[in-house]
Amino acid sequence: MPALSGFLWLISYWLIGEVVIYFTGLPVSSGVIGMLLLCATLALYGRVPSSIAAAAQPLIALLAMLIMPGVVGVFFIIGELAGQWTAILIALVVGTLLSVVTTLWLLKRLIGQSYER
Amino acid sequence: MNADLSPLELLTATPLFAVGLTLVAYLIGNRLFQHLKRPSWLPAILIAALLLAGALSLIGLPYPTYQEGAIWLTVLLGPATVALGMPLYQQLPRIVELWRPLAICLPIAATLAAFYALAIAWLLGSSDTILASIAAKSVTAPIAIGITEQLGGKVSLLLGALLVTGVITIPCVSIAARLLHINDERLIGFALGLNGHAIGTVRAFEISPAAGAFASLGMSLTGIFTAVLLPLAWRLLGMSSGYA
Repeated sequence: MPALSGFLWLISYWLIGEVVIYFTGLPVSSGVIGMLLLCATLALYGRVPSSIAAAAQPLIALLAMLIMPGVVGVFFIIGELAGQWTAILIALVVGTLLSVVTTLWLLKRLIGQSYER
Repeated sequence: MNADLSPLELLTATPLFAVGLTLVAYLIGNRLFQHLKRPSWLPAILIAALLLAGALSLIGLPYPTYQEGAIWLTVLLGPATVALGMPLYQQLPRIVELWRPLAICLPIAATLAAFYALAIAWLLGSSDTILASIAAKSVTAPIAIGITEQLGGKVSLLLGALLVTGVITIPCVSIAARLLHINDERLIGFALGLNGHAIGTVRAFEISPAAGAFASLGMSLTGIFTAVLLPLAWRLLGMSSGYA
């Protein structure tokens, strides 16, 4: 039962996210709004209620499975873009490599500086 | 009587077939991943997705039919994203410790994550539609779909770009971390979430809960930042947009 009431909390925060987006027109997803609101609520409350933990932990563990149906769709559009794939793949692979290196290099420099102070 | 239906039509009359197929592919994918000693270049999600795609084409189940049934699983993505607020709260003290470098890094890194790929694709002569479809490649799917529609890109191509980006981010982060001598799992997690959205975040949770929390933070902040900035940048650059 605690998992069930925790799940109801997660759904409620998602629904609150929907309402917030409806009224503010923010270009974000309701899940992300709900995540930030849940984090803020827990910070105010000061601890994680066991019901929320019971629902959140298994759901986070299943995240990879939940995105699978969307991910498989890729294999069914390969034919649509014949001739364009090389450029797209190079852009994605090289672009991601460059941006990962930049992110880590930047973090290392910034954090090195903050340790020095 | 069901004499008029083929066995496949009979099974796919309920969403349970698609759900069961996904569970099987996921479980086998995970088992194979463990068996292959967890290779960073072949994440469990890619193995599972390949198995699932293979199974669908083998039994001749059209993707839209599968997708319709699998909605029973994907609807849980909403509460699962909300659930990420819990590790985020648990790691709040460690995040606050690093708020200044993270706040400086995020806008620069999130902008470059989109810019590098767009610049390369543009140099290689990709069309405006393709550019609009891959621009949100580092953003978590529920946000990225909205951005892509706004820019006038193709959502199916975007999802492909998301898979490639997420999968490629994992080995890229481990190579780059080794080259730069970084072993702070908070930084590695943040880079995984910022560049590799949900797929990177799943990987970060395999490393440690702290890495996972920093990945959720990187993922959500990149999503928010890109959602606000990219459509604006698109208009300033005079690119064609869905609204035009």
